[in-house]
Amino acid sequence: MVSNEDIFKILGTIPDPEMPISITDLGLIEDVFYDDTTIRVTVLPTFIGCFALPTIAKEIEQKLSALEGITSVEVNFIHDPPWSTDRITNEGRASLAQHGISVPDSGAICCQEGETEVVELRTSAIPCPWCQSRETTITSPFGPTRCKSIHFCNACRQPFERMKRV
Amino acid sequence: MSDLPEQLRLPLVNVLLCVADDKLFLGHRNSDWTGIAPILEADIAFSSLAQDDIAHASAFFELISSITGQNPDQIAFGRTENEYRCADIVTKSDQFNWAAAIARQFYCNIYDFLRLQRLSNATWAPLANLAKRISAEQVIHVDHVSSWVDHLGKGNADSKLRMQKALDDYAPYASMLSEAPDGINVLFDGGILINEGCLFTAWKEYVNQIAESASLTINVEPCSGIGGRNGKHDEDFTRSLAELQEVFSTDPTAAW
Repeated sequence: MVSNEDIFKILGTIPDPEMPISITDLGLIEDVFYDDTTIRVTVLPTFIGCFALPTIAKEIEQKLSALEGITSVEVNFIHDPPWSTDRITNEGRASLAQHGISVPDSGAICCQEGETEVVELRTSAIPCPWCQSRETTITSPFGPTRCKSIHFCNACRQPFERMKRV
Repeated sequence: MSDLPEQLRLPLVNVLLCVADDKLFLGHRNSDWTGIAPILEADIAFSSLAQDDIAHASAFFELISSITGQNPDQIAFGRTENEYRCADIVTKSDQFNWAAAIARQFYCNIYDFLRLQRLSNATWAPLANLAKRISAEQVIHVDHVSSWVDHLGKGNADSKLRMQKALDDYAPYASMLSEAPDGINVLFDGGILINEGCLFTAWKEYVNQIAESASLTINVEPCSGIGGRNGKHDEDFTRSLAELQEVFSTDPTAAW
């Protein structure tokens, strides 16, 4: 019989296909249900149009199917509750920062009207993950993945990415 | 969906199709710019907008599927022309004119955003939750396209002239965005949606404010007549639909 701990331990080894962070540290896993033979995992996509979702589902199915006695693994994506950057763990934040990806502080979740995002994108107060200067500007709200925007630090002259607050 | 009264299902599907079809076709048209937008960031942005819009449409087709039991792909690609509910501005070709692409995006994105905000207040939770989630992404679209309108309006005499012309060229089609979908009043009366007043007025105020600060004018009249929201489409729509259905009509089970 598998345990919750076994399942999460395995999920924790699955990296996000687009970022240096595990899917558990990214806060994608909402729920896990299991019995002797079946595991069902409920996953929250960061952005609805994220291309990585099929890859993530396949990884989860493959890894969990290897557990003893498990004959069926089911992955469901849901939008309620919505994923938010608040779900990223401190370990995950540290790993992203090391790779030059900035993450909004937790607790300041996007308001329902969605105005916070625009206010945040247009201010120059976003700290550079390389040198911590706040002399930064936004290059584009659309970056290499759906969940990130591109910024530039005027102090250390380096580009960096930021997880968009949703 | 057992929690939806039977008589409200069809009108609700009709209203949801308006949202899904607008986004499906707009996303399709925006993907025309992949690889050829004026600057790299604009290229990535338009491709991202297209990706988002098609994903949002897909999420709405899935929601519709939960009501009707039909396959979402069948709903997206398998209907006849008069069963599509988009306003035809979303299929109006921009002729690869950047100002035109921005004008179309500007009118449609802001309409989408305000409509999603209203759907966020729906009393049917699956719809309200999805609309809230998509609103948070849509606001980034609105911000992006508004900054382009501002940029071109304040650029130089040439960019301003082109932006104004594009806004004027799309004005007649923009008014059709607000054509009332069949059955919307049934949904207000049935308590599924909340009537928050004229969406066109709210939209006009929103676009005016952005245009005015860039010394541009919006000359869109309120909708009159019957159009895409009630299944009556023009030849640009027919062309876009044929493009979109090309693969599906060859092999309905095709997958990536």
